[in-house]
Amino acid sequence: MKKNRLLLTMLVLGQALHGQIATVIPSSASIAMTSVADTHSWSAFNNPAMLGYTDKPEFAIQFENRYLLTELSTKSIQFALPTGLLNTGVSFSHFGYSLYHEMLFGVGFARNFSDKFAMGVQFNYYTAFFNASNSYHGAFLPQIGLSVRFSQAFSSGFNTFNPFQSNIQTEFVIKRLPSLFSIGTEYFFSKNFIWRTQVDKEVSSNYRVATGFEYQMLQNFAFKIGGYSSGYLIPCLGVGFKTGAILIDLNCEMHPLLGLNTLAAIKYRFGK
Amino acid sequence: MKRLFYSLLLIFICSCPARAQDVVAITEQTIADIFEQVTAESDEAIDYYSFYEDLMFCARNPINLNQASREELERLPFLSDIQVENIQAYVYQYGPLLTMYELQLIEGLDMTDIRRMIPFVYVGEARITNKKIYLVDLLKYGKNELYFRLDKGLETKEGYQFLPEEDVNSPQTNSGNYLGNQLYHSLKYRFHYKDRILAGITAEKDAGEQFWGSTHKGYDFYSFHAQFNKVGKFRTIVLGDYRANFGLGLVLHSDFGLGKSSYVLNVTPRNSGLKKYSSTDESNFFRGGGATIQLGKFDLTAFYSNKMIDGDTLNGAFPTILKTGYHRTLNELDKKHTVNQQIIGGNATFTNQNFQAGATFVHTLLDNRLVPDKSVYNYFYFSGNKQTTGGLFYRLRWKKLNLFGETAMNDQGALATLNGCTFNPVSQISMVVLHRYYSPEYDTFYASSFSETSRINNENGLYIGTEVRPFRKWKFAAYADSYKFPWPKYGIDEPSLGTDYLFQSDYTVNRDIAMYWRFRYEEKQSNLSATGAVMPVVVPIQKTGFRYNLTYSVGSFSFKNVVEGNLSRRATANRTYGITACQDISYKFTRIPLKADFRYQFFDAVEYENRVYSYEKDVLYAFSIPMYYGLGSRYYLNLKYELNNHLSFWFKIAQTVYTDDRESISSGNETITGNRKTDMRFLLKWEF
Repeated sequence: MKKNRLLLTMLVLGQALHGQIATVIPSSASIAMTSVADTHSWSAFNNPAMLGYTDKPEFAIQFENRYLLTELSTKSIQFALPTGLLNTGVSFSHFGYSLYHEMLFGVGFARNFSDKFAMGVQFNYYTAFFNASNSYHGAFLPQIGLSVRFSQAFSSGFNTFNPFQSNIQTEFVIKRLPSLFSIGTEYFFSKNFIWRTQVDKEVSSNYRVATGFEYQMLQNFAFKIGGYSSGYLIPCLGVGFKTGAILIDLNCEMHPLLGLNTLAAIKYRFGK
Repeated sequence: MKRLFYSLLLIFICSCPARAQDVVAITEQTIADIFEQVTAESDEAIDYYSFYEDLMFCARNPINLNQASREELERLPFLSDIQVENIQAYVYQYGPLLTMYELQLIEGLDMTDIRRMIPFVYVGEARITNKKIYLVDLLKYGKNELYFRLDKGLETKEGYQFLPEEDVNSPQTNSGNYLGNQLYHSLKYRFHYKDRILAGITAEKDAGEQFWGSTHKGYDFYSFHAQFNKVGKFRTIVLGDYRANFGLGLVLHSDFGLGKSSYVLNVTPRNSGLKKYSSTDESNFFRGGGATIQLGKFDLTAFYSNKMIDGDTLNGAFPTILKTGYHRTLNELDKKHTVNQQIIGGNATFTNQNFQAGATFVHTLLDNRLVPDKSVYNYFYFSGNKQTTGGLFYRLRWKKLNLFGETAMNDQGALATLNGCTFNPVSQISMVVLHRYYSPEYDTFYASSFSETSRINNENGLYIGTEVRPFRKWKFAAYADSYKFPWPKYGIDEPSLGTDYLFQSDYTVNRDIAMYWRFRYEEKQSNLSATGAVMPVVVPIQKTGFRYNLTYSVGSFSFKNVVEGNLSRRATANRTYGITACQDISYKFTRIPLKADFRYQFFDAVEYENRVYSYEKDVLYAFSIPMYYGLGSRYYLNLKYELNNHLSFWFKIAQTVYTDDRESISSGNETITGNRKTDMRFLLKWEF
């Protein structure tokens, strides 16, 4: 029964769920996955330019449970190390279960140029386990990111993942890998209230249009609200907690057909 | 002192000073804003009258902002929950307002909101509002009003065309025709003493109903109401016809429940308790009595109703409650008042500064069994002659968040829950998020709340709305709603889902010129196959709408232009369109007490999917949002003449001309031969 449910969900995911552009790329903790212009937080395999704004070493783990099925979950881990010349980040993500799983490793470098703009580049290695050949196959995928601060309140971001549209070709199958272009904006209505927008285009999927608000209601509590559309309208809600050096994000989104998608992330910032 | 300085400063610098507003114009615009969209999507007739009368009553008995309770402020439908909270919080935090200009210091209120509020509120010292009432005061200060309204269509409808002599061999007979004449008329008497005592009698005859003859001796519908407010410990006592609204409407809300509209933040019905019923709608009210008693921070309410309702009874069962109120033919008369309905209910509400919670229950007993004709979509509809529903609701202000919700359950164990929050992160932005889950098995008689359809069942969805005022003259409002029907609905034979977006920008150039643009996109599903097909085929329908509205005034003239269009597409079929444009001109004569409104409207919406709705001015307390479908035009002239301080007249004549070569309009008894439809309406108001 569970297998049938899983197969059905995978089928729907593959055919209809354009919003989940690539399941191995972890969703960001930014509400409605509007991380491309999020200057406050670097998320693994999202815009590497944001690594440039990191001023202290940080470590984060994240778990995303899609539609209450552990087989569809994505787990990720990331570490950022800022230095005087370049900030360096290492990240890893895993999606799937024993019979089918995908993994992504990345090493990124970014620099903040006088707080006017930041650039980043990341080298990713993607690998997936193919049951038919009982083996792993992989490919290198570059990623480039840019963030421009037009003013203290307004900035924009751009990111491309696998711009050369690399794929994996095995004896039996060609595995198409996601090729993703994202652009977005971030606007601070006040120090505590942020508005972000983002448009994503995965070359063979619908556009994804997203917007989200983050409201730092208390010193250690934030409330997040947003939504995105890519065929379906998907509302998103989230909260963020901060206690000393630890940041916790809990997000959820409601897909009208598939149900609830939840995400939990814990980040530790050294020296805070 | 600082506040006084700011207030005075604002008086001088404010470029848009508040000035006396046309109460009727504000009321009508508010109703249009709220109801136009609802009318287009509702499959039930909406009672505008109560809404209209409540607002006009507020204009005559303005609310003292320094003393207003939450319930009193909630009477103003254009104020959002956040604005109500902010007004109360401001008065609590800084003390009584000194002038109306101080409203500009309250977060979330812009000049448009303040202008709308001004006719309905005032700033004054706190007074004792529950003074003893003496008969001499009632006679001296009580206001009496009498309204007589007459409507007539000029073209003779099929239902009034009697055959001279019935031929037994002819398939045509007179038996299905209307028994009465074409006149609609109603008589209303109203009495009120401040906002303490309200009473009235209503009598109505619909067109086609007999006034005096074998089936009727007088009017078809009579209604009496009396409401006493602030009488000793009693907050409210109602007798006769009344309505009851508690919580967020999942258990009991017989008034119209707010929903999706361009007032994107006003999404939940207001907890107004017991209130008189004075409309001519013949179904949606209780008849009996009830009272609310105030005990410290608790309000306790009990009520009872016993009335006859319409239904097609057979062997002690009937398939549906008939709510049209029409008793024009023998067939309709056979179904009149055939079922006895008894209702008993109660509510307990605790109110504190930042917290409110309450419980509501209602029990209904019918003397015939309600047994709907079963099909897949109504499989879970209520069936039986007894129903009990109960629910708990709450409202909590925590920091800048206003959390609210209600959870209800019927005696079948089915659940409905609605929860949300509103917040004001910065002064220019207000937001609301609202989640609803209504089980397919939850079907109760008096629920009315936020929903995609008029029924509160079989729905699961999340709504997010926001209003942004980035600059002084601009306001942007938007909402997004995503919902799912887990069980088939009427016209959709499978579980389905839909989305709905609205974006509106308002630009107020100055006191005399204002405009807005509205864009709306909706996608939902509908049957492609015939209803009830063994293998249903359900396809998406996309509808995109645009509207531009411009109002401006020059001297005694005021103008309004509206251009509206929509595109609709079912599955992969070609897109179809509908457009309408109208020009309104109003003129207020300076030498005689006469006001005239004229409209010319053109419409081109050949397909039913592209039908358009637009509100039009009418006689006092009447309001129409007709549907336009086909190709044609409509024009009307609406006159108001105030003979003296006591007597006023309204007269309206409207005609619709179809230019799409149709030879008849409407169907059945309502059929009019030809391509024109003309209506006249007359209202007399006598105040004494």
